[in-house]
Amino acid sequence: MNNPAKKKSSGSANKGWIVGAIIAIIVGAAAVVAITTSGSDSTSSDGLIEMGDISVKGDVLPAYNESEQNDPAIGMTAPVLTGKGFTGNTITTESTGTPMMLVFLAHWCPHCQREVPLLVEWNKSGKTPSGIDIIAVATGTDPANPNYPPSEWLAREEFPALWPVIADSKDKTAGDAFGLGGYPYFVLIDGSGKVVKRMSGEIPMDELTVLLTALLPA
Amino acid sequence: MRFTLNAPMNNETFELFFAMLSVALLAGTVVVLVARLLAGSQTWAASTIAAFRPFALPLAAAVTTTCLLGSLYFSEIVNYKPCRLCWFQRTMMYPLAIILIIAALRKDWKVKYYAVPLAAIGTVIASYHWLLERFPNLESGVCDVDVPCEFVWFELFGFVTLPFMALTAFIAVIVFTTLPTQPTEQ
Repeated sequence: MNNPAKKKSSGSANKGWIVGAIIAIIVGAAAVVAITTSGSDSTSSDGLIEMGDISVKGDVLPAYNESEQNDPAIGMTAPVLTGKGFTGNTITTESTGTPMMLVFLAHWCPHCQREVPLLVEWNKSGKTPSGIDIIAVATGTDPANPNYPPSEWLAREEFPALWPVIADSKDKTAGDAFGLGGYPYFVLIDGSGKVVKRMSGEIPMDELTVLLTALLPA
Repeated sequence: MRFTLNAPMNNETFELFFAMLSVALLAGTVVVLVARLLAGSQTWAASTIAAFRPFALPLAAAVTTTCLLGSLYFSEIVNYKPCRLCWFQRTMMYPLAIILIIAALRKDWKVKYYAVPLAAIGTVIASYHWLLERFPNLESGVCDVDVPCEFVWFELFGFVTLPFMALTAFIAVIVFTTLPTQPTEQ
């Protein structure tokens, strides 16, 4: 037979344990946070340029909309970008008669983070069509966002060793000039400086090989 | 007016604090859920539920209020812009905080009829959002130019992100507000 007094006493004891456990958890969490975060420091980017001034020559392209069947930018003359690489070197997208592919990448975008190793592998495996200039633009850069700085991320992926990278401005001047419509973003330009194709998202390397091969003069 | 904190330590401190609370909440919710399932056959489980019951509504209110204030802290002070799915979760979490505070003050257990549907919808959205963070290609292969939902503002312990925190809170609300009226009721 149950003793009500004992049961009540047991219930009170349990309540005490619960209150104590909740307080202990909160105090414990605060203590661990205080210990582990004290003395932490923000990392520096070793003087590298993560966001730089961009000059745009020519008309900007209309915003890219993936759902539009006919991209209005096709056939338009691509604007010419001039900016700085991470180490301060000047990079321009001025046409030299060679077809070109621009790749716009954001350090915080998980799809860009997946695409970059594929591009690197694509290059290393020798499948990249020769006779095409490939230039990347690190855009959408924000120190508050994950995977900052882009210079470190791309260096980790050994990307800048393969292709030049322009550091876009804080306001995405280069991205906006090309009607940036999502990350990663690709713009294919023919030898005469006209836009041939724009696309966004993760593009399989086989598809990229076919598209770039089609850019080459017959 | 928008405030900006330039000291990363402050953000990281709060992120870690909220993440630890979230994990602790999940562990506590599992204990309560197991105790509830065993309350019919195990004395310790029944007495645990009986002892926890007076704290259930205040705790649910505290959890959702913390989520409300936390989300405002991250969006308005730290400037983590909420994505589309974040907004959907907010539309469930914010009213939950208000009605659970009132319910806790009134000891109104009928709040479950309002709280559980909101929390259940929130659970579905938060689960999808968390999965989307794990598998970015679930929705599309493109990051939105502004704030993509795949974007992970921060991640701690390898799995605790903002949607995960919301998910644990929604699940806790469901478990806490549906405790049986009597200790042995199933």
